[in-house]
Amino acid sequence: MIKIWSMKKNEDAATKKRPKTSAAQIRVQKDLTELDLPPTMKTNFPDPTDLLNFTLTITPDEGMYNGGAFTFSFTINTNYPHEPPKVKCMQTIYHPNVDLEGNVCLNILREDWKPVLNLNSVMVGLQYLFLEPNADDPLNKEAAEELRKNREQFLYNVKTSMRGGNIKGVTYHKVLV
Amino acid sequence: MSSQDSQDIETATTAIESAPDTKTRRYDRQLRLWAATGQSALESSRVLLISGSATSTSILKNLVLPGIGHFTILDHAKVSHSDAGNNFFLEGYNSIGKSRAEEAVQLLGELNDSVEGRADTRTLGSILKAHPEWITSFTIVIAHNLDHTLLNELSALLWKDAKYPPLVVVRSAGFLADFYIQFHEHTIIESHSEISPSLRIDKPFPALREHALSLEFDKMDSTEHGHIPYVVILVRALEDWKKSHGGSLPKSYEERQQFKKGVLALKVKGDEENFDEAETQAYRCWTETKVPSEITALFSDPALFIEAMDSNQSPFFHLLAALKEYTEQCDTHTLPLTSTLPDMKSDTHNYIHLQRLYKTRAEEERQVFKSYLRVPVDDAMVDSFVKNAHALVVLRGKPWGTFDEDKAALGESLSTMPKETCIHLALSALSLLQAGDTSVSPSAESIRAKIQSIVGQYTELPDEADDAIGEIARAPFSELPNTAAFLGGMVAQEVIKMITKQYVPVRGYCVIDLIETCTGTIGA
Amino acid sequence: MATEINVNGAATSSDWQDRYYHVDQILDRPGPRTDPSFLAGDEVKDFLRNKCKILVIGAGGLGCEILANLALTGFKDIHLIDMDTIDISNLNRQFLFRPADVGRPKAIVAAEYVMKRVPGVQVTPYYGKIQDKGDDYYLQFNLVICGLDSVEARRWINATLVNLVDPENPESLKPLIDGGTEGFKGQARVILPTVSSCYECSLDMLNKPTTFPICTIANTPRLPEHCIEWASVLEWPRARGDEKLDTDDPEHIGWLYSIAVARAKEFKIEGVTWSLTQGVVKNVIPAIASTNAIIAASCCNEAFKIATSSAAYLNNYFMLIGTEGVYSYTFEHEKRDHCPVCGGEALEMPISRDWTVEQLIELLTEKQNIQIKKPSLATPGKPIYFQQPPQLEEATRPNLEKKVLELVPDGGEVVVTASTLPFSLSLIITYI
Repeated sequence: MIKIWSMKKNEDAATKKRPKTSAAQIRVQKDLTELDLPPTMKTNFPDPTDLLNFTLTITPDEGMYNGGAFTFSFTINTNYPHEPPKVKCMQTIYHPNVDLEGNVCLNILREDWKPVLNLNSVMVGLQYLFLEPNADDPLNKEAAEELRKNREQFLYNVKTSMRGGNIKGVTYHKVLV
Repeated sequence: MSSQDSQDIETATTAIESAPDTKTRRYDRQLRLWAATGQSALESSRVLLISGSATSTSILKNLVLPGIGHFTILDHAKVSHSDAGNNFFLEGYNSIGKSRAEEAVQLLGELNDSVEGRADTRTLGSILKAHPEWITSFTIVIAHNLDHTLLNELSALLWKDAKYPPLVVVRSAGFLADFYIQFHEHTIIESHSEISPSLRIDKPFPALREHALSLEFDKMDSTEHGHIPYVVILVRALEDWKKSHGGSLPKSYEERQQFKKGVLALKVKGDEENFDEAETQAYRCWTETKVPSEITALFSDPALFIEAMDSNQSPFFHLLAALKEYTEQCDTHTLPLTSTLPDMKSDTHNYIHLQRLYKTRAEEERQVFKSYLRVPVDDAMVDSFVKNAHALVVLRGKPWGTFDEDKAALGESLSTMPKETCIHLALSALSLLQAGDTSVSPSAESIRAKIQSIVGQYTELPDEADDAIGEIARAPFSELPNTAAFLGGMVAQEVIKMITKQYVPVRGYCVIDLIETCTGTIGA
Repeated sequence: MATEINVNGAATSSDWQDRYYHVDQILDRPGPRTDPSFLAGDEVKDFLRNKCKILVIGAGGLGCEILANLALTGFKDIHLIDMDTIDISNLNRQFLFRPADVGRPKAIVAAEYVMKRVPGVQVTPYYGKIQDKGDDYYLQFNLVICGLDSVEARRWINATLVNLVDPENPESLKPLIDGGTEGFKGQARVILPTVSSCYECSLDMLNKPTTFPICTIANTPRLPEHCIEWASVLEWPRARGDEKLDTDDPEHIGWLYSIAVARAKEFKIEGVTWSLTQGVVKNVIPAIASTNAIIAASCCNEAFKIATSSAAYLNNYFMLIGTEGVYSYTFEHEKRDHCPVCGGEALEMPISRDWTVEQLIELLTEKQNIQIKKPSLATPGKPIYFQQPPQLEEATRPNLEKKVLELVPDGGEVVVTASTLPFSLSLIITYI
């Protein structure tokens, strides 16, 4: 065998031990402990020792979704941050960019994800969806159409849905706090 | 939308396929590279391998697996103790003393039932004398570490007629190797180039121009506005620009920046990605659509001379002649339009509409192109030719060995690519020193002297020569399993490109150094 | 020389005269670029054939080739891990498998085949995941060769081998040789854990698989791929509930295909085929025997040179593009400064047995050469004290009072993160 040991660049490096925690784990710790969330966002860890599965609740204090509490599940796999976290809305909500199955249309969760982004960027992105719903690239087409064509009706529908009401045959989750 | 169109969609999308058959499933991972056309070319090919060495069987393994039609191993040798140790396609100790060709054919055959394999135990010398037509009946011939004299005879035979099969010459010793493909001419339609053809934004065809001008951007709602395809935005913006600039395109750097700014100023909302795309693609407005210089160069190919075009010229050159005429006759002096539109931010309707405009126009131009064809050519081939017109390749080769006779070229190569050239020369020297007696074990001094005689006494050898000479002298008879496997992959890859006429094969001598693990090409 | 294979009387009955004639020409004398430490002759042969233990990870396209090459080169103690079974689409390149083997574990079939064909070679297969094995398992090998198609598995083995390096034990440094291919392209590299650039250092060189915006899939499909993703990402969970999509199940692919075709018809999009459907949902990567042969040979050649010192080895990255001629590029990939796997250094931190977590944090904040603002601490897998988010801060606050000893064993690791650190800092806690 070649003598690799002698190639270690300096003696110093050879005496230092290596960390044993996985890169994904450390990265999640770093992301979480450096979160800088406004009071409108709160994380919840059902098991505080499991950093890879948690929820985020957003309670917008302005905009048309003001007064609601919206909960998203975060699932992070061991390939993080090479792969983005998987995020789903846990309630049935009336929103142009969230479908009835809880899929969320946010570019940095799919096509624009980069390892330099972090959990904070994802959370801020989610909150932005409640302040500025995007009607032009929708997931819930009917909601988007309403927002574009009849803003008053849309606002009314949002209120109805947040109360747990029914719109066009769909019963939404009550999300009012 | 005409009913004709919707019918096409209907037939295109209602013919539901069932799960693919066994053969398609087996070849799935390679069909994604060379499709059914490449596969059928492979399946009708017949490959001759001269010698059943470990390198030869490695090459064949990588051709039998993807499914060539037939292979023959020509080898009169019996399996030696050393063969049994380094060739995976022999049954180890049990094969010793048996025919090397027969043993290898048997085991290679097990890799793929649909490939026919034959062992031939005659000597190459006898065939060259008595039945050269047998050799020329193959699709391609590959020879590994063949005796220098026989190799010269073989390459001379295969060079005699442009219709004879290409010859792949493979040489190796220890960690070093090179290979060369001798062929007269190789034409490629499907080069799988990564360059995409022009969308002709600078020279929009009438239907595209009309479509772009007919749209009223300011009457759209924000969703529609945010989904106008960038092609339309650019055609429109360029028309407007030309109107206000006396018909000229954005020329200077400042003008181009100004044009881009103008495109972005069309946004009604900050996050309209389609306008961002238009800005990124704005270079298409001032990149003039014309016949690429590589293709123009093909138009003066001697194969297009009237005398050459008579009777038995290949369809490729008839297509090329038609293409030349097309570009001269059509008012834009461009290649026929591509029918493939890249994906872009758009809603479905706008995109499909635009796609249809391109398809319709492409079909019209294809018909015009076809009218210039002097001989009937298969429609699928015409399609493929037009689709790839921007990336056609014609390669012309030289006979094996001319590089080693060209002292000027060798000298030049020694100064620009010393390492690769020295390895090549050391292999040539070994081959010359072993001509007629392959058991000769040459010294470093004799290899150096031989190289010096090849390059001429006035050319000084670079420092790299010692490395190459030393390695050859260290292991002149050594066929390392890893070198054999590496060459097996490299050579098979190039043979597949030659047979399928897809992708671009290597030109010149591909030199391999498995000490530093690098490759290089010289003598092209 | 070539006949004297039975060094130390350890010859197997299968070592016939001249068996290693070709390899021995290299092992019997140095070349001009061979390191002076090369011990030509019996000693190196004995090491290669009787002592060296090598691990091959993956028995797929690269793995089959690697196994055959290693066996012929003279490695005799080969271990093989693979968690897959044989599929018909493997047969165009995985040459140790036959149609009758479809469905059987790759590791087992490949091991049987090579042992049959190359007598005297011991191949020990393990049909399972690399993650099933611990440090003791990986410590037994001299070298590791990887022929994997998964980024995740590569990151795992890379991190495992980097972590294995023990400053007191030179034997703990295991060279990792990694190969990968896609169509006519491929790469091979040599990783000397902690010495040269590791897999994680080059993670940003990877191409991301194509993904499409979910709103495009839902509302503005333009390409056949959009229709296929509509079927797999949105319609499958809607229609099939919790049933897991098995991309190897023809019924599942058939279902997605028919949904995608209907979608394409609705939007007048052409080009949805069975093969494209399968390609998109399985993220199929084109693969051919020849590219695998080149890359596998290159990996085995490096293993041979490293195990024998008979020639210089690849430093450290070989990239091949075979679509237009033969283009290759050999270069040294540089170690990345704050690489989360090999860049982080662990700091020995001897503290008193009585110290509380709070005291440790104070030390980290105040100590001259560290000075970390607002550090958060965790043991592998468990938070000790987190500054953020509030819920975890609250949940971990009681730990501040606790003795470090209660949470971290002697010699245990603590990962420290803070916004003032480029990445993280690891502490090895010892008690005095």
